[in-house]
Amino acid sequence: MVRDASGGLRIRGAGTWMHVGAPVIASQELHLDAFAGVRRYTPGDLTISVGAATTLAELDVTTRAQGQWCPLLPWGDDRGTIGATLATATTGPFAEALGRPRDLVLGVECVDGRGRIVRAGGRVVKNVAGFDLTRLMIGSWGTLGVITEVHLRLRARPSADVTLMVEGAASEAMRRFVHGALPPLAALPLGEGIARTLGHAGPGSWLLRLGGNAEQVAAARAALARLGACLELAPESWDIVRRELAPEPRAASWPWTPLMQRVRAAFDPRGVLNPGLLAERAA
Amino acid sequence: MADAALPVESLAAELGAIVGARHVLTRPSTLLAYESDALPGYHKRPRLAVFPGSQDELVAVVRRLAKDGLPFVARGAGTGLSGGALADDAVLIGVQRLRRIIAIDAEARTATVEPGVVNATLTRAAAAFGLHYAPDPSSQAACTLGGNVAENAGGPHCLKYGVTLNHVLRAHVVLPDGELVTLDRGDQGGYDLLGAFVGSEGCFGIATELTLKLTPNPEAVLTMLADFTSVAAAAEATSRMIAAGIVPAALELMDQATIRAVEESIYAAGYPIDAAAVLLVEVDGPRAGLEADANAVSEICRAAGAREVKRASDAAAREKLWQGRKKAFGAMGRVAPHLVVQDAVVPRTQLAALLNDIASIGERHGVRVCNVFHAGDGNLHPNIPYDANDADESARVHAAMQQIMTRCIDAGGTITGEHGVGLDKLPYMERLFTADTLDAMCTLRETFDPARRANPGKVVPLHSCREWNGLPALRGGASS
Repeated sequence: MVRDASGGLRIRGAGTWMHVGAPVIASQELHLDAFAGVRRYTPGDLTISVGAATTLAELDVTTRAQGQWCPLLPWGDDRGTIGATLATATTGPFAEALGRPRDLVLGVECVDGRGRIVRAGGRVVKNVAGFDLTRLMIGSWGTLGVITEVHLRLRARPSADVTLMVEGAASEAMRRFVHGALPPLAALPLGEGIARTLGHAGPGSWLLRLGGNAEQVAAARAALARLGACLELAPESWDIVRRELAPEPRAASWPWTPLMQRVRAAFDPRGVLNPGLLAERAA
Repeated sequence: MADAALPVESLAAELGAIVGARHVLTRPSTLLAYESDALPGYHKRPRLAVFPGSQDELVAVVRRLAKDGLPFVARGAGTGLSGGALADDAVLIGVQRLRRIIAIDAEARTATVEPGVVNATLTRAAAAFGLHYAPDPSSQAACTLGGNVAENAGGPHCLKYGVTLNHVLRAHVVLPDGELVTLDRGDQGGYDLLGAFVGSEGCFGIATELTLKLTPNPEAVLTMLADFTSVAAAAEATSRMIAAGIVPAALELMDQATIRAVEESIYAAGYPIDAAAVLLVEVDGPRAGLEADANAVSEICRAAGAREVKRASDAAAREKLWQGRKKAFGAMGRVAPHLVVQDAVVPRTQLAALLNDIASIGERHGVRVCNVFHAGDGNLHPNIPYDANDADESARVHAAMQQIMTRCIDAGGTITGEHGVGLDKLPYMERLFTADTLDAMCTLRETFDPARRANPGKVVPLHSCREWNGLPALRGGASS
């Protein structure tokens, strides 16, 4: 379909991102529904290969059954697809501790704008063979290629996983804790609105997730108890936070350098992939 | 392309005017040291070698070469293991004089450095702030950060902390045509051209300045040595640790041939010489809970058949255990005059089967394979000590290596985990990647270097690149 396209193609996964970015000038939508599902999962390797249209929810269910997870947990909704998460390089509250899309993807299969089927990277956890087309595709918003399958690095879920709301902690003390010897998986200052949504209305509260073995988490908890009042919340609180606090994506405000323009022209010379989305014409 | 008519003397004089005459080498005797890197068996003489002393000089040199369309090869310390820094009649640009640590920001945990700074030097400089640079290739006492970025270098502690790619935040790069660009991860929008640049093996341009992530030193470290009566049992223990979700800081396997070589050398680390294999396992992190992690490692090793799991009692004992591992390649120098250091990655559940096959391949070809590798990543280093002057032995080594690489590819693995493709692995690229994928790699290279003057002939076989004619590659009768 990419090879035969006469006009622009609008790439669509679950459709959760369609409002973002500049208007796409496209005569057709390219639906990726056919590229859904787990292709290969070897829990002992902590790697998984899935179709790009696989939802984050399905990925979570599949890996959770083996005590593992794909810890991207990006801002937004688990109805979104892994393909869109990578195409937009969407991070989440756990990115610093657990990795960004570029850190957790081992390889991608895609169709580039010239109609080539590109199988970049691989399924093993360390790989420097050839030029890195995987990193190139991640965060390219589908303007270089349409991602159809991805190979991901998984992690074991921490044996202890605790979510705490901490109230009344001084922000300097919290900063020291976050950068200290027992770093949390995430630490987020909460506005009043989201604190209320989570069922607690205290001012100046923080949401923290602690992960590790039981002793580590207990030690971190004890340290936090000295900083403020701690309330344990369900881990699902993070799903609410990821939905409610998702920042506006920056698709339309790209800093188009000449090198980036050359990359775009080289991989999609006819401009068929999401044309206009990144306001490249204005650049 | 290269203007063979341009006399070396006049080019040398012009480059000498930029960097100082004594930093340009043209005589064959002085170029000898730059004819190879750490990969044995390859010698390529550069046309001349030039060593800029500042970022401005580096840019000026690249622009001077661009004027005449001359090919060039960037070189750090020449510790590479894939022939990547060999310059066959090209101009060699050495960056080792660019060794300024420009800034360390302890609060942001970043360092800004020139490309010739030695890996271990940065870690020493960061120590005052309780920080270190995490990627730690075995050559870290000599290799440069610019070379590390070009190769996307790894090291034992990359199992937990990630490879070079995960530790580079920004690069200032001079493109082969002399254009200056700043590459980042695209966090504020933009393609991740930094990700494309890291590991591009000197084919996309030369980094003039790098901003790197520094990692806090762990509160506590425990280093263990587990000793096994079979390689398969050590591999099995590795697979079980990974599957159990334990992430050691490092998890290294050494087989008997390696243990013997180390113990007979000045780097003797006290490894049990009757063991078929040892695992060197390190766990680090907060003091709280570390004991529990170490106990879990011990239990898994014992359950997989370890005779003994020893713990380093103090920093000196830990240093000694690591010294044996890091100097294992050097120790093999006693066994034979030359050493092929291979590099491949396989899925971690297949380690035991692969090691078994590698042993039979070695036996079939009458060569001695020593395994010392990053087991936790599935990153194999089957090494063969040999005499490169013995044609028959060299042929057998070559044949064995080919079979080992083929076996790794068939297992769903890859041909290099951290050493790069360079010249050495070119023949395997077409086995590993489809024609379309290799062609797309050529496209990426050409956006950085349309004339392919930077490190020509490396990474992707030339014939894999279709002629770029500005038209889409249409196949199967499809029309646009």
